[in-house]
Amino acid sequence: MADEFEPKIVAFLCKWCSSAGSDLAGVSRMQYPPNVIPITVMCSGSMSPLYILSAFKKGADGVLVSGCHPGDCHYIKGNFYARRRIALVKKLLEFIGLEPQRFQMSWVSAAEGTKYTQIIKDFVEELKPIGPQTKLRRSS
Amino acid sequence: MVNLEDLKKEAKRILEEGKIKYIIGYERSPNGMMSMPAFIKNPEDAERLTWDPSCVYNLTRFLVDEKRRKAKEKKPDTRPVAIVVKGCDSRAVVVLLQEKFINREDVYILGVSCEGAGVVDEKKLTEKLKGKKADKIEFSEKDHFLITSDGEKIKIPAQEILAERCLECRANFPVIYDEVLGEKVERRPEDPFKSIERIESLSKEERWAFWKEQLDKCIRCYACRSVCPMCYCDECVVDTISFAVAADTTAEEKAQKIKWIERSPDSSENFVYHLVRAIHLAGRCIDCGECERACPLDIPVRLLNKKLEKEAKELFDYEVGFDPEKPSLASSFKDDDPEDFIR
Repeated sequence: MADEFEPKIVAFLCKWCSSAGSDLAGVSRMQYPPNVIPITVMCSGSMSPLYILSAFKKGADGVLVSGCHPGDCHYIKGNFYARRRIALVKKLLEFIGLEPQRFQMSWVSAAEGTKYTQIIKDFVEELKPIGPQTKLRRSS
Repeated sequence: MVNLEDLKKEAKRILEEGKIKYIIGYERSPNGMMSMPAFIKNPEDAERLTWDPSCVYNLTRFLVDEKRRKAKEKKPDTRPVAIVVKGCDSRAVVVLLQEKFINREDVYILGVSCEGAGVVDEKKLTEKLKGKKADKIEFSEKDHFLITSDGEKIKIPAQEILAERCLECRANFPVIYDEVLGEKVERRPEDPFKSIERIESLSKEERWAFWKEQLDKCIRCYACRSVCPMCYCDECVVDTISFAVAADTTAEEKAQKIKWIERSPDSSENFVYHLVRAIHLAGRCIDCGECERACPLDIPVRLLNKKLEKEAKELFDYEVGFDPEKPSLASSFKDDDPEDFIR
């Protein structure tokens, strides 16, 4: 089906765990939807809410923030800060009426290639029925 | 009841002692019943000070300006500045202290009690008086305001003309002070997040329609930012939009001055601006409602901040502006912070 809606997902992956996890999925030749645009950040704790809003503004249908499991952070506690901040961003986006499915967070370690592919598969499946994101997209 | 004479006497005393640089307080505006900020340097001017339900402004913004001015002076006057604060404003001072933006010894806090009431909403009052002009407004006995209009005295229940934020206030008595006037009247709102719950009860599409209508109005005058005592960054993220990239702009400059938001007041840009402002004020906004009051287009900006205040309370059990020693919301975490939304 050529005209099926293919969501565009921007995934912010932390350099030490999630990025390595996605790399593992790649080198292990695991199949997963090509809808993701990965962006490596140094730590999930370095995620500014502006990155997320910027992605939505530039037309992302979904945004994923992924970091190390709690306790595994390369910078000891970066992902704990991220957990707080992202929770607030998520609540705020829901408050203004954005679909809650569009913004997700996950913990993916460097060994969890399978988990990463599963998260992307689920994310794409969830985004397909709700269609393109037009609320925060820049119109001109 | 705050005795105005006590406030004047105390102001006069501290100025005469010469330990205080000046006092930031309220005085009667020459036009109508509302008051305006006053800066009192001479002891004899202390007579001008006032305190009544029309003192809506959060004066702590002037502490930020004072710090800036002091930093530029070659030989700064290091004496503390005295400031008249309501309950909500005192929490703004606490946040500034908590973030180490000001030092405790640089400020002398004159607290005033809101007497179990609060301050008025000018629009509500105008509506209530149906075109008549009020000359004076005073606290009356519990839960009432006494308004003088055309020589006639009218008593109005406080609930009818209180500012929205005062209806949801949880600190009607200063939490930090050197000197305090008035009695502590416990007034706990039944539902401190009523306005938020009203919006949360709407459907997703209704919420979107509501915010779209409100934020599309924004002309990006940044009055909400200018009036906010917590918006004190030297360079705001939206300032870089006026940064022109020319042929000789270095790569470093381009990397540092990213245009996160376009200058045009489009819907998407307005959303990004207001959401980012709300996030930057998460765990810092003390709900003084100044952003909403200053907004020329009546956008309920306060609700975005209030929503995050609610989430901070519910998710992280964090209350803003009560303890200057506590680490701030964004710079602390607990091992058992909720993570049910994470996969």
